[in-house]
Amino acid sequence: MSVTRRTLLTSAAAAALAAQFRIDPAAAQEKVIRFSMPQDFTKIYTFVTSEYNQGQRDYISLVNARGGINGYTIAADVSDHGNDLPRAIEAFERAKSQGAVLVDPLSTPVARALTPRALADKINLITAFSGRSDAADGTVFPYVFPLSPNYWTQIALLVDYFRQQSGDLKGKKICFVHIDTPFGKEPLPVLKRLQEKLGFELSTFPYTPPGNDQSAIWPQVRRARPDWIVFWGAGVGQTVALTEVIRNGLPLNKVSSSVWLSESDMDVVGRSQAAGVLKIEPCASGRAPKLIQEILKEVVEPGKGAGPTEKVGTAYYNYGVMLASLMVEGVRQAFARAPQGPISGEWLNAGLTSITNFDAQGLIPPTTVTKEDHQGGGKARIARWDGAKFVPVTDWFTAYSDVVWEVIRESAAEFQKSGK
Amino acid sequence: MFYRRAGLLHTRYQDERQLWPFAFDRGLVGCVCLVLVVAPFLFERLYLVTYLLPWIIWSTAALGLNLLMGGAGQVHLGYGAVIGIGAYASVHMLRAGIPLEIAMLGGGLASAIVGCLFGAAALRVKGLYLAMATLAMQYMVDFIISHFEIISGGTQATLQVPPVRFLGVPLSSDAAAYYFALGVCVVVTLFLLNVKRTSFGRALAAVREKDYAAAVIGVDSFRFKLLAFWVSSFIGGVVGCVLAVSYYRAISPDQFHIDLSIQLVAMVIVGGLGSVLGSFFGAALILFAPIVLNHLVGLIADLAGLPISADLRAHLPLMLYGAMIMGFLLWEPLGLAKIYNNTRNYFLVWPFRHAR
Repeated sequence: MSVTRRTLLTSAAAAALAAQFRIDPAAAQEKVIRFSMPQDFTKIYTFVTSEYNQGQRDYISLVNARGGINGYTIAADVSDHGNDLPRAIEAFERAKSQGAVLVDPLSTPVARALTPRALADKINLITAFSGRSDAADGTVFPYVFPLSPNYWTQIALLVDYFRQQSGDLKGKKICFVHIDTPFGKEPLPVLKRLQEKLGFELSTFPYTPPGNDQSAIWPQVRRARPDWIVFWGAGVGQTVALTEVIRNGLPLNKVSSSVWLSESDMDVVGRSQAAGVLKIEPCASGRAPKLIQEILKEVVEPGKGAGPTEKVGTAYYNYGVMLASLMVEGVRQAFARAPQGPISGEWLNAGLTSITNFDAQGLIPPTTVTKEDHQGGGKARIARWDGAKFVPVTDWFTAYSDVVWEVIRESAAEFQKSGK
Repeated sequence: MFYRRAGLLHTRYQDERQLWPFAFDRGLVGCVCLVLVVAPFLFERLYLVTYLLPWIIWSTAALGLNLLMGGAGQVHLGYGAVIGIGAYASVHMLRAGIPLEIAMLGGGLASAIVGCLFGAAALRVKGLYLAMATLAMQYMVDFIISHFEIISGGTQATLQVPPVRFLGVPLSSDAAAYYFALGVCVVVTLFLLNVKRTSFGRALAAVREKDYAAAVIGVDSFRFKLLAFWVSSFIGGVVGCVLAVSYYRAISPDQFHIDLSIQLVAMVIVGGLGSVLGSFFGAALILFAPIVLNHLVGLIADLAGLPISADLRAHLPLMLYGAMIMGFLLWEPLGLAKIYNNTRNYFLVWPFRHAR
């Protein structure tokens, strides 16, 4: 017994050590650009992450299958950080020592914790739909890239859509139901400013995280007789909110969410029951876009897909493709500027900040990222769930960017002041 | 063989009472200390910053909790909140321009005061009920931090730690931050090594075993329970400051959630209740097993060319990790420290195994 135990322990220790020494296998083979994707597969975001990550890797496979960029292939180092900061920091530092030029953690707490490191180490931190909203201000956060409409832009888009539909929001009532965390409360400053500007009435209804019981909130929302409702959460809170909307008989076509609503959520709520609900769409969903078709033909059909085929074309999958395409476009631009490299965080940074009018063959709104604007213009559209898929009801647009940028600049200035 | 007891004769009480009477133990401790001191020159930056530094900080936290759980036998499920209070208090002080030396103690004091308030529940309730009371503390502190923007720091709820100096040395470099954490860890470790030999430590042990029996032999369990909460929360608060200053550098409420509390309780239990060495072992296992297992599974999958889905690849280490903790606890319920102790006991009498 003691011998087997000892052998077991010794071999486990040896294996653990071996794993530690595998620090830089890719340094030997040149012509590789490393993207690090430590994401949360196991803790909170789970299926969101796996669909998002699947989209990212499928797009990267597509690029690599076509010969890469400038002769370089892209290596995606996927690992699980489980939303745990020591693990995420380990992954970040490992990525740095392996020469990764970009880290995409897809987690608000992780992105916030990594921000000071990314700024100090000059590694591009992708914080799409997560992280600090004020990172849109590239002058203060040169190495942090939302590359997508932040939460402030998203709420401004929704309010503008409501205004378009109601004609005028004066005296109208908007109910904002949100998870009671910093993330849930994030849209409030923009909402309050828009309230002053447009004269609507705003009621907020916080629910306790994680939000699997919201039965006390929604009858109050019903009694408030809102003209428009926004629900703001993530993960389980979203499906519960939607279920409660249906149960309380609120008009679904007056209810909207942020970007966090997908086919998988609809499967939980009931696909046909949820018909009518709105959401923000940062990129086209479904399999119709040309890019998704190409992925299906060149990656998924030959059996090189990174996950289950039925998930191809879901909302989160397409977000993954969207972000991967933007990252790769950044690489392309970087090569256009400095073909000889050296491949580094700064090199990619120059590329990412010169993405101009890139639309990923119609998948995303024309996106221009500059040194000042890291959210790429903040364009998105509103989509309605018709019972089977999301149908866009507006064109790509952006709204109240003056108000949004005012809040971004204020918050960024505060960050700049405090870190010094 | 290694641990030679033969020939150890003490003629003075001081010799008898030294921390490590065996020469081998002293040598071992000396070697470990030496490695820790030269670590910034010895190891790659990655290992210093992401393994050694968090290990030292979490071990210090586990030591603080171990004083309460292993030393005084009081359950605490809100130690993450205690650390959070220390972190927020000290970072706010730092931002107000108070030097780190004072801010660190201030963070400790803030934690100690709040920790004591909730620890007062321990005077009335025990066991599971105390666990509930401390859990309530965790949730209340979480709630208060994230609901007062003046505490959490605006809509982004993230507080930057300003550049700081400790005793005149700026903690901007990795090595300086590491030495700062190591210094705190050494002080706390020495304190805990000695606590057992003081009347305070003995009183805690009496309270742990049976509080009214302790009262019968003249130990004021009211006082010592509160004192245990005070000391342990103070250590927690100081660790919060170290964590913020030398590791996270930006703090947000989610860093001090229930997850952290559970992690710390796991470290104490897996390491060994009431054991100083165990706190270090426990911290290492709970912090690094998931990371190492992840790399291991990834490596095996890559080497064998197994087409494992990303989902399974992420969940497999988690299952192994769970199995590992259960295995350790089944094999040695008294924790990793006991495993070390058994080995040591074996070598103490080696080769005469029967003498055990």
